[in-house]
Parts: sequence; structure tokens; C-alpha cells
Amino acid sequence: MEYFIQQTINGVTLGSIYGLIAIGYTMVYGIIGMINFAHGDIFMVGAFVALISFIIFGLTGVALPIILLLVLLISMLFTACYGWTVEKLAYKPLRGSFRLAPLISALGMSIVLQNFVQISQGARAKVYHSTLDGRLEFFKDSDFVVIVSYMQIFMVLLTVGLMIMFTYLITKTDLGRAQRACEQDKTMASLLGINVDRTISLTFIMGSTLAAVAGMMFVMYYSVIDFRIGFLAGVKAFTAAVLGGIGSIPGAMLGGLLLGLIETMWSGYVSVEYKDVAAFSVLIIVLIFFPTGFLGKPDIEKV
Amino acid sequence: MSETLLSVENLSMKFGGLVAVDNLNFDAKKNQITSIIGPNGAGKTTVFNCLTGFYKPSSGKMLLHHDEKALLLNKFTDFKIAQQAKVARTFQNIRLFPAMSVLENLLVAQHNFLMKASGYSVFGLLNLKRYQIKEQEAVAKAKYWLDIIGLTHRADDNAGDLPYGDQRKLEIIRAMCIDPRLLCLDEPAAGLNPKESSELNKLLKFIKDEKKTGILLIEHDMSVVMGISDHVVVLNYGKKIFEGTPKETTQSKEVIEAYLGAEE
Amino acid sequence: MISENLRQNLKDSLFTGIIATAIFLPIVGLRTELNQEKTGLEIIPEWNVTLLLILFCVVGRFIINLRKQSKSNVIANTFSQLGNYFANKGKIFVFSGLLFAIVFPYLPFTDRYLMDVGIMVLTYIMLGWGLNVVVGLAGMLDLGYVAFYAVGSYSFALIATEFDWSFWICLPLAGVFAAFFGILLGFPVLRLRGDYLAIVTLGFGEIIRIILINWYDFTNGPDGISGIPRPTFFGLDFTRNPPEGSESFHTFFNLEYSGMHRIIFLYYVILVLALITNHVTLKIRKLPVGRAWEALREDEIACKSLGVNPTNTKLTAFAIGAMFGGFAGSFFATKQGFISPESFTFIESAIILAIVVLGGMGSQTGVVLATIFLIGFTETFRELEQFRMIAFGAAMVLIMLYKPKGILDQRDPTIRLKGNK
Repeated sequence: MEYFIQQTINGVTLGSIYGLIAIGYTMVYGIIGMINFAHGDIFMVGAFVALISFIIFGLTGVALPIILLLVLLISMLFTACYGWTVEKLAYKPLRGSFRLAPLISALGMSIVLQNFVQISQGARAKVYHSTLDGRLEFFKDSDFVVIVSYMQIFMVLLTVGLMIMFTYLITKTDLGRAQRACEQDKTMASLLGINVDRTISLTFIMGSTLAAVAGMMFVMYYSVIDFRIGFLAGVKAFTAAVLGGIGSIPGAMLGGLLLGLIETMWSGYVSVEYKDVAAFSVLIIVLIFFPTGFLGKPDIEKV
Repeated sequence: MSETLLSVENLSMKFGGLVAVDNLNFDAKKNQITSIIGPNGAGKTTVFNCLTGFYKPSSGKMLLHHDEKALLLNKFTDFKIAQQAKVARTFQNIRLFPAMSVLENLLVAQHNFLMKASGYSVFGLLNLKRYQIKEQEAVAKAKYWLDIIGLTHRADDNAGDLPYGDQRKLEIIRAMCIDPRLLCLDEPAAGLNPKESSELNKLLKFIKDEKKTGILLIEHDMSVVMGISDHVVVLNYGKKIFEGTPKETTQSKEVIEAYLGAEE
Repeated sequence: MISENLRQNLKDSLFTGIIATAIFLPIVGLRTELNQEKTGLEIIPEWNVTLLLILFCVVGRFIINLRKQSKSNVIANTFSQLGNYFANKGKIFVFSGLLFAIVFPYLPFTDRYLMDVGIMVLTYIMLGWGLNVVVGLAGMLDLGYVAFYAVGSYSFALIATEFDWSFWICLPLAGVFAAFFGILLGFPVLRLRGDYLAIVTLGFGEIIRIILINWYDFTNGPDGISGIPRPTFFGLDFTRNPPEGSESFHTFFNLEYSGMHRIIFLYYVILVLALITNHVTLKIRKLPVGRAWEALREDEIACKSLGVNPTNTKLTAFAIGAMFGGFAGSFFATKQGFISPESFTFIESAIILAIVVLGGMGSQTGVVLATIFLIGFTETFRELEQFRMIAFGAAMVLIMLYKPKGILDQRDPTIRLKGNK
């Protein structure tokens, strides 16, 4: 029983990372109907920027909470630039093009990003031990002690905080309204005075920002990163987005949590080697049998 | 008195809370051109989509009568409507294969005929004479239709390079290449100038008279509707508000109200 | 004093500089490296490179703006000219290319290294032609093509090592397996939309790779399968010292033993396989099923309205593409003598896709050109190995931006009313 609780806690933590990345996928899909294949690599860039910032600030004697805040802001800022640039270079010019063009372009961009980081930073994995140590222990007298680290608490709290901020942003602000309008009908939105290009750019920036946070959490939680983490995390986060219902932001977070739990439970109870197979299988099953996911809207094709 | 080709009984199509087609009943007869008209949003294309297998109706029956039998169109989905029930259609926004030649477009229409003839590709791969003969037959049929619309000289050009009016005509003869019993045309006159519209009328009359194919037509262009229709069905807000001859339609109070608004 | 255009240009370039700084400063400028004591990471600044890159972007942006303001379209024009040049040369190019390929092993400058490159290029050409059926002709984006390559390789390897049958029997068997696999994979997923299909096929590719790595009992896991029998020339093998009582190639023909014999034989094997792939594909294009592939690519809804069964048509494309991939995989296995899951990563799928996309989707000649360019060119400039992948990725983006139909975007109809030219 204690083991199950532990796996659940781990699953929720992992799920937060997936959920944050998934939101980026779902927002972009909602507004321009494409799968941003390079989004996972944006997350990877965020992780690297966070790593570098940690190293730099670690040299100064500044207190931990301030470091965390600084790293968070810096990673969000720089990663947002990456997201913006990718959209401007590789997707915007293809908005009228044939169906598969943006997808191929995104694939190309993903390869470029991965190799850009590989060449610049080296192919070897980078290890970094963050200084957020410490944990809480439960069920100390039983056979299996349940551990909740401060790191995990930090991650979940940060995710919850961001979700609240985000939901407010989407539902109550002008930007959010503009976004929802563009999702429904871009032409009409622009006729009503909404700057569609800027709204789309901002969508990418928001998605990249959240991916950066996920990247920072990844560095702190796993302590090891390399240029390849984007690919796997990207596919899994996309799975989460579809599972929760593509186009729905709460769905993306829900999907993330579900996938995190599925993956952790599978590793814990069945097999660790095949945990990625489990994730990919979820993807395939959802896309074939359940493409609208839990909270998504059905897609009727107009003839 | 012509026999009934298509009978639509109590057809309804709902999308969530929206009722697009509401309990529609009408008939289309063999060897006749039946036009479905109505203001925008009346549900005309929705009816077509139900008839041609793209939507599954919420309720109601669509029956295609031929050879003393009645085929329940509801049972045919997707491509089977064209393949088995022999109901062909064209689209509001022309859907040709733009990067393929005019001739190739017409050959794709004869896909099922050619697949059987090629022994599901086996005879074709072995270069057997029997397939080549059948392929020539298919080309001859394509040429026959191209001659009728005067596009034979452009047979090897890409379909996407044709002028708009010719593309419309090509889409229609492509549909005819499947030898349909019922031909459904979605706004075939859209975007055509008067000369092209009258050529379209001639083509449709030819199809009706010579090929004995029943035609169902959605149109806004009254010159086409009045010029060639034998029968008119008027929809508004998903319901049928009138059915009759073209002349009767122009005189019907309900129709005039629907299009022009009620008299104050 | 400064014109409006120039002012706008300078503003743009400045903005580009700022963004470029954000992009290059952290990742390029602050390189993390294991420190001397090996206890942790340290930052090594790389200001020179960073500055250079930023400058490059700023200047580049300035120049592009100048060009835009003068309304010329250099990149697209260059590609167009390239494409049209080859399209017009048509038959001559194909014929001379074929001739070159046939005599290649005997040309004076062709050494062992070039032969290996040649074999690799031909293998990729065959894979490109195989994927071309799925992506170029039928218009389905398959991101997991490497799975069929792997199935072909592994089925060949396992059959050959288990049953000791000859290459010529195992090859078609492996192709059949791969085709069967293609149908199995294709069946549930082919009705998915373009982008979803792409992701699912990617998932399949990865699942295959993970299973190959982890199912130790069956596939030998990361250790791979070795001792795969090499191909024979009608029963003659290519070893230096044939076993008692039998002949090997060089003893039979009374030649001095040379390692090149086997390589040259392998070269011709892959050449023949590739040519068969090409011939079959061109033939099928002229048949109704091939035409249906292209029609599906153009407009699936129109196809359905003409009675074409989209699922069956897609399945045939998938299966045939898979079969060719399987054949290529078998060749790969016998050429290497050893295979492991490392050869079957997603990157391979991406490379093959890049070849098809760059060459012109649907164009057989385009695939050849793209492969020679991408693989041959970068092989001979080995020092730039690192930049090969980034160039691939950039090429994919650039092609979509400037020439989405690939370099060779001319398409000849498969049948003409006026008789074939």
C-alpha cells in the first residue's frame, strides 16, 4: 500500500512536468491546428538554460529561493525567445501551405535544435545536483517508507500556481479572449481588429515559457540532462495533450497527470525497461480509439 | 409518369442541439432534374452530405430505387455510396486532383472497373493484354466525355491548370465516369458567367436525356434552376416549405416570403 | 537623411541582433564542461563564436531585407533553376546516371572507401524509393519507416542464422515479413489524419526499437546478432580460404584473392535491388492502384466520392513501401554481417524522410539526386560530420519554405491521350 502511495506521488510529480509541456502543444494546436513537433526540444533548451543559470548563480552566494526565482525567470525569458523564433522562421510562412508542410518543417526544426545544442554543449550528459535537498518521510514504521521530497512539493506547488495564473490569463484577460477568438475563426478575429499574428506569437511564447519551467524542474528533479531529452518528453507530452483532449488546457494538465501516473505505475509494478513502450502504446490507443480525449471537442470535417 | 429514383423519408440531421435538417420528405424521379433551393443555411448541403455518405443521418430513410429494388442509402457509408449504390456527387468547392492530368482524373473515376480488370494489379504487373484492352476502354470513355465538353485538346494538361469553368465541367464528367444512377451536384453553376451557365444547362440536359441518369441539384442560380429543372424542392431552416414545378415555385407565397421576407 | 527603408532595415536588424543574442548567448556562449577535478560542471565562455553568430544573423537579416526591398527571390529561383535543369535533361540524365552506376566499381579513382560510400548511397536510394511510395505517392507522412528496415534486417538475420538458408531465399522472406508487418501496423492507423498518422508511426518506430533492445532472448538485445552469412555468387562464397572440397569465388575464376571482390558483388546486388524497386514502382504508378495513391494524396474526399476505397489503397502503399524497406534491411544485414538496434533509430527515419522531401515527393529521380547530395556529399566531407544533421534539419525547413514540392517538382502524367512521348 505504501509502495502504491509512493508511486502515486512520483507519478503526480512526473505528470506535472508532462502537463506543463502538454499545455504548449495543446495551445498551439488549438490556434493554428498544427502539432509543434519541435516543442519537446524547446523544453530541452529550457532545461539547458536552467542548468547554465544554476551553475552561474551557484557561484554567487545568493540564497536559494532567490536563485530559484532568478533561474525560473531567466529560463522562461530565453526559452520564450526560442519559441518565438521557431514560429517566425519555420511555421508562420507556411500558414497557407499544404497540410503536411508545417509538420515537416517542425521536424526539421526539431533536428536543428537538438543538434544545435549537441554541437554547442557537447553530446555528453550533463550532471547537476541542485541544492534543494531535504524530504518528508511518512509511514516510518512500516516496511516501505514513503518519501516526499521538498523538490516534489516545490514542483507540484509551482505547477498549481502556474495553472491558476494561466487559467486567469486565458479566461479573464484580453489576450485570452483574443486567443479563443483566433481558435474559432482567424479571419473573423482579424476583421474585428485582433492582431492574429501577434496572438499566435504570444501563444508560442506562453507555451515555451511553460516548457521552460518544466525544463527547470526536470534539471532539478533528475539531475541529468542531455540534448536528447526533448524527443521523448515531447512525444509523451503530446500523448498527454491528446489524452486530455487536444485543444483543452485543463485537459492537457489532466492528461499529463494521467500519463505520469500510468508511466510510474507501469515502471513500479510491471517493467521499467518497457515504460516508454507503455507511453507510446497509450498514444497509439488514444489516437485510434479515443482521439478526442477526455475534455476535447469532437472534430467534424466540413465537406 | 416517371418512376421514382430517390425517396427521402423523414430525414433529420442534428448536430448537438442544432437541427440542420428537420423531418424532410421529398422524391426525385428518374430521368428528371430535381433542384433543391433555399436561402443560405437552409440545410441543402447537409442533405447532400447525408445522401452521399458523408454524414450519418440522425433519423429517417433515404431509398434509391432501381431494378425493382430499393437500396437503403443509410447503410452505405463513405466510398461505398459511389462504389455500390452508384450515387455520384460534385462539391461546392471544386475537388479535382490538381496535380494530375485531366485524363488521369477521369481514369481515377473508373478505378473500380480498372482494378477488377487488372486483376487487382496482378494482370497489370504482368503486362497482360487483357488489362491493356480494358485500360483502352476506360480511356475511350474518358475521351467520349471530354469530346462532349470540348476539352479533349487539354486531356494531358494538369487539371489544376484549367480555367474555372472548365474545372467545373470536368468535375461533372468525372462523376459521370462512374456510371451513376443518381448524380448529385452541389452548386455546379457557382462562379460561372452566363455563357458558361448555359453550356452547363446543355450538359445537364444531355446527361438527363441521353444517359438516363437522375440529377439532384443544389443551386442558387435561378437561370439554371428554372431553365432545366423538372422538379423543385424548397428548403428553409431545415424544413421543406414547398415542392413542385419551377413555375409553381415562382408563384408560391411561402417561397417568396422565405427569400424576400414576409410582406409587412 | 536616412531613407525610410533603411531606417526600417536597421531597426529590423537591431531587433534580430537582440533575438540572436538571446538564442546564442546561453547555449553557445556559455558552454558547460566537466571541470578539472571531475566534481561538477563549469562554464567555459565562447564569446568569439557567439559574437560571430550574432553578427552573421544581423548582417544576414540586413541583406535579406535589402533583397526583399528590391523584390527578388534568389533562393527560390536557384532551386527552380536547379529543378528545371534536371527536369529538362530528363532521359539523358537518367541514362548517363545508370551508366555511371554500372561502371562505378571499375573507375580508376574508385577505392574501397568510395565503394562503401557507393553501397551506402544505393541503400539509401532504395530506402528513399520505398518511403517515396508512402509519402511521395500516397501522401502519408510516415515517421517510423525505419521499423520496416529493422524488421527486414532482423528477420533476415534470424532466419539466416537459425536455418542457414541462402541469401536469395531469406531476402524475399524478409520482404514478405516486412510487408505483413506494414499491413499489421497500417490497418488500425490508416484512417487517421495526416499529423496524427505521423506521430503514431513515429511511436511504432520507437516501440520496435525498444523491443529490439530489450527482448534479449529473441533479438539478443543491444548485443545484436552477429555471424550473419554473407551472400554468395551462385554458391561461391568470397572467403580467402574456402573450406575443404568447395571453391570460393577467387579460386573458381582463377583470380588473386581480393577483398574487393565481395564488395563489388555487394555493390551490384544493391544496385539490382534498387533498380527492381524503381521498376516495380514505376509500373504500379501506371496501374489503377498507383493512380489511386496519387489521387488520395491530392484529395481524399474526392476519392471517396468516386468510389475509391481509401483504406485498402493506403494499405497497399504502406505494405509495398514496407516490403522495399524490408528488402533493403536484408541487404544491410548481409552486408554488415552484424546488426544491432543502434542502426535503427528515429534519426534514420528522419534522414530517409529528408531525402524524399528534398528530392521532390513522388519523384524517383529526385530521390536519387537528394540521396547523392545528402549522403554522398556529406560522407566525403567527414570532418563536417557534426554539422551533417543540423544541415539535414535546416534543409527540411528550407525546402518547405521555398520549394515545398522538392527540387524536382515536375510531374509527368502516367498516361497520355495523345500517346506516350
